[in-house]
Amino acid sequence: MSDIEKPEAERDPPLGEAGEHPLSILLFSWMRGKMFLRVFVILLVIVGLASIGLEVWLAQKPVKDITSVPGFYAVFGFLAFGGAVLSGWPLGKLLRRREDYYETRSGEAGRDR
Amino acid sequence: MTVERLADWLANTNPGFFILAAALFVPFARSNIVRAILMVGGPAVALVALINADGLSLNLSTVQVMGLELILYRPDSLSFLFGLAFIIASALFGVYSLHRRDATQDATAMLYAGAAVSAVFVGDLVSLFIAWELTAVASVFQVLAPRSQESVRAAMRYLVFQVSSGMLVLAGVCMFVAATGQTQFALIAPSMTGLPVGVMDIEAPGAVLILAGFGIKAAFPMVHNWLQDAYPKTTETGAVVLSAFTTKLAVYALARYFAGLEWLIWIGAIMTVFPVFFAVIENDLRKVLAYSLNNQVGFMVCAVGIGTQLAVNGAAAHAFAHIMYKALLFMCMGALLYRTGTTKATELGGLHRTMPWTTLFCLIGAASISALPLFSGFVAKSMVMSASHADPALFVVWLMLLFASAGVLEHSGIKIPYFAFFGHDSGKRPQEAPFNMLMAMGVAAALCILIGVSPGWLYRFLPYEQVAREYLASDLWTAPHVLQQLQLLVFATLAFMLLQWRQLYPAEKPGVILDVEWLWRRGWPALVSALSGPSRRFGRWAGSQVDFVSGALVGLARQVFAADGWVSSKVSLSATAVCSLVILGAVLAISLFL
Repeated sequence: MSDIEKPEAERDPPLGEAGEHPLSILLFSWMRGKMFLRVFVILLVIVGLASIGLEVWLAQKPVKDITSVPGFYAVFGFLAFGGAVLSGWPLGKLLRRREDYYETRSGEAGRDR
Repeated sequence: MTVERLADWLANTNPGFFILAAALFVPFARSNIVRAILMVGGPAVALVALINADGLSLNLSTVQVMGLELILYRPDSLSFLFGLAFIIASALFGVYSLHRRDATQDATAMLYAGAAVSAVFVGDLVSLFIAWELTAVASVFQVLAPRSQESVRAAMRYLVFQVSSGMLVLAGVCMFVAATGQTQFALIAPSMTGLPVGVMDIEAPGAVLILAGFGIKAAFPMVHNWLQDAYPKTTETGAVVLSAFTTKLAVYALARYFAGLEWLIWIGAIMTVFPVFFAVIENDLRKVLAYSLNNQVGFMVCAVGIGTQLAVNGAAAHAFAHIMYKALLFMCMGALLYRTGTTKATELGGLHRTMPWTTLFCLIGAASISALPLFSGFVAKSMVMSASHADPALFVVWLMLLFASAGVLEHSGIKIPYFAFFGHDSGKRPQEAPFNMLMAMGVAAALCILIGVSPGWLYRFLPYEQVAREYLASDLWTAPHVLQQLQLLVFATLAFMLLQWRQLYPAEKPGVILDVEWLWRRGWPALVSALSGPSRRFGRWAGSQVDFVSGALVGLARQVFAADGWVSSKVSLSATAVCSLVILGAVLAISLFL
């Protein structure tokens, strides 16, 4: 196992830093640009809206139920994902315990140290 | 002539037996080359045997044991696909584990794989039980492999669940056979269009016990936690092999014996939903994958419960695709564990700089499990979704599955690659994974893409080929279908970006997340302790009273009989001697006459 950790001060600049794998520079270095996030979000919005537009354009059957309303999957995906993630706040407070909660010396027997 | 006999023998032998045979020789392999030949050669021979099977839906190999006819080899279109996936997974594991020498772990992993392959090809309940138990016993060594106190404890808990599953199946099989006299699944009930699927009536004697046994192995809700407990505590290779077999063998068994059972629809739907919430807050990425496994098996169980031909096809296709992409994701996490010593999200990040191949393969696995069009998950999961959408009575179930699809994107599609390879820079600069690991990951990734781009070859092997062909021709690649899935994924990703931007995404924090395992690791001991409290207190009080009384008696005896006590000072020696003789005489009289 080789585990090389560099201290903060010695780190190289993010783009193509020394020791970086050439494939990483080729595949992923563009992600570190300042505009990446903005461009990525704009692209996602364009693709998302285009898919809704295409769905409306291609729709040949009348709307039978809520699932056949154009954009249903977009709204559902957004809300479901957001709901699942936001539930993490109360759940984390309710369910998270310290790392050694079970594995204490006597923890397996159900007693605190 | 000899070649013909060899070919005939190959064509009529359960492919799992070849892997089992290879496993027996692994501990004696001194050189790496021999070990590699055994680890990859065993599954390769099994694959050749399966492809050249001497016909489907025939009893190709039988043996008489204690008046019972055991069907050792009966391949059909359901078992073929599961067996094929298991054989490919065992070969991938063989390649993935070549970088290290651990004879015990390698041999037991091969035994486990061989037992799982054997289990899907046997044709009767007794043989299934034997293979079922062998998978349980062999797999526990994967959990034991790290040899830490934590892993040993987890292995013991794992073993309790696995053996309980086996005992329930055994009890159920005994009751069923005693009542019906039938062990062969092909003869239990009329087949669904020629394929014995869902052959057991839930009201038959012992059927509920058998279902419960299968359910433990499938990690049904409330008995699911053995999976999240054990898998993250194995070695970097252990989780890969464990993820492929146990739960999918249970899905196969459920399809074979209980397809169409309505209970399974709801059990499966619940299985898809609840792990999403745990995976969101879990810090250990291998545990996140374990919850994700639970969620994906839920899709299969739900499809088995729906029980239509499309749904059974969906369950089988999803099992095949899932074995590949889940193995791939566990392999990526295994590579991280091997190189950095951890899979905790809080300790990872920025690893794409030095592990780009692993990152790339992980992204392919993430795209596959998220069911992105042109990846394997899309062509497999969409059949399950279509089967549930086809029945208006299952609208709520369909909504649950759709929610779970968005959830999968969250925990396996985004969280795993983002926190491991991107996200905040952990400062770790490990080497890329060893070549053998990359090779196994590369093959698995290629399969994920191949299935996604060209699903025809997978569909050809599905249990109901005609239904699969029709689905491929008229449903899979229709514009609305692709666009709807794209919308779901794109807008879910936008939700992720928005939550990250507004800092509403819960930060990863170290800690353990309480789940149902709390009941037996903390709750049950605490309950026992609380209930036994009064009796313990009474015992302590009674003990103190006895101590007091016996202390008083001993003190009194000392005062009376000590050298300077009451007897020696008050009673004469002759009187003492007479008393002693009287007591001795009384004892002799009693012993003589009673």
